[in-house]
Amino acid sequence: MAQQGAVQVTLEASPDEIYDIELEHSLLEANGKLAVENRTLLDKHGITAIDFMGAIGSGKTTLITKLVEKLKDQIGVAVFNGDATTSNDADAIAAQNVPVVQIATINGCHLDANLVGKGLRKIELENLKMIFIENIGNLICPAEFPLGSKARVVVVSVTEGPWMVRKHPHMFLGAQVVVINKIDLAEAMEVSVEQLINDVHALKPDIKVIPTSCKRGAGLDEVTETLLAI
Amino acid sequence: MHEFSIASGLIEKLLDFAEKNPDKKLVEVRVAIGEFTQIEEEQLRFCYESIISEMPIAGSTLTIEAVLGKVACPHCSYSGPPKYWEGVISGTPIATLECPRCGKAARASEGEECAIRSVRYTQPNEITELTR
Repeated sequence: MAQQGAVQVTLEASPDEIYDIELEHSLLEANGKLAVENRTLLDKHGITAIDFMGAIGSGKTTLITKLVEKLKDQIGVAVFNGDATTSNDADAIAAQNVPVVQIATINGCHLDANLVGKGLRKIELENLKMIFIENIGNLICPAEFPLGSKARVVVVSVTEGPWMVRKHPHMFLGAQVVVINKIDLAEAMEVSVEQLINDVHALKPDIKVIPTSCKRGAGLDEVTETLLAI
Repeated sequence: MHEFSIASGLIEKLLDFAEKNPDKKLVEVRVAIGEFTQIEEEQLRFCYESIISEMPIAGSTLTIEAVLGKVACPHCSYSGPPKYWEGVISGTPIATLECPRCGKAARASEGEECAIRSVRYTQPNEITELTR
C-alpha cells in the first residue's frame, strides 16, 4: 500500500515484456445474433422472409414486383426495399397496395440484421405470410450479413456478361435459389444460360437455378412455386 | 466496403478492452479470417489503421491469419479440404461446396469465421518506492 510521501514510478515495458491473451470474439456475431432474433420474430408470426441479392440492374425489383402481383390476392405479402438513396423502387411496389418498408442505407453497401429488425417493428405483422427483402445492388458485401430470412435468392442477368458466377462465388455459396434473368436477351448478349447454370452448380450442386425473363413472364411460375415451398 | 463495418466492430471490442484495462497498452490484435468469407485483408487493414489513428489504441497492428476451408458431406460422410475450382477467371482457385469424394452438396464446416483470436499488450510496471 502506498504511504504518504511515496513516489510512484512507471517504467515502460521493454519489448520482451509483451503479454498475449486469448480473446475469442466473433466479429460477425453481433449481426448474426440480430438475424436470429429477426428469424424468431418471423417464425412466431408464421412469416417466411426471402432475401434477394444481385447486381444493380439484374432485375430484383421487377422480379419482386411480379411476385407481389401473383401472390397479393392469395396471401399477405410485404416488401422491404433496401436502396442507397432513392425511393423509386419502393414507390413502384407500393403502388400495388402492399406494405412497403423503404430502408435507405445512404452510403451503406448492404442491409444488415439491425436495419431489417427495425423495419419489422414498423409494420403490422399479423396476417402477413411472406416478406420479400430486396438487398442493395451489390454482389459482394451482403454475403457476410445474414438478415434472418429463410432463404437467400441471387438474381443475375445475362446482360451482366458470361462470368458473373465465377467473379462472385461467395454470393452463391450462401444462397438457396438462383434466378438467371433476361434470358430473352441471351442470344443478343452471346451469353450461354447453360454455362451460367453449370457454373452455379460447380460451386454448390444442390442450389435451385431458375432461368427467367421477368419482363416477359417466363419462369415466374416456377419461382413462385419454389418460394412458396420454402 | 463491408470491411469498414467489420473493422468498426473489431475496434469497438478493442476500445472496450482498453477501457477495462487502463494499465495495459495494446500492441497487436490477431484476427482469423476464413476462406469461405469474402473479406479482403488489405481493405480491412486499411480501414483499421484509418479508424484508430486518433484513438487510445493508435499504433497497434492488425495481424490477419487466413483459415483454410473444410467441408463435411452429409451424403458420403467425407470431411476434409474442399474441392477447389481451378482455372477460373480470377486466377485464384475458388473453394466450392461440391463434395470432393461423391460430387454432391457438402456444407462448410470450417472457414466461415471472422474472429478475434488474441491480443498482445505491454503492461508498464508500476513500482512504488518509499522515500523518506
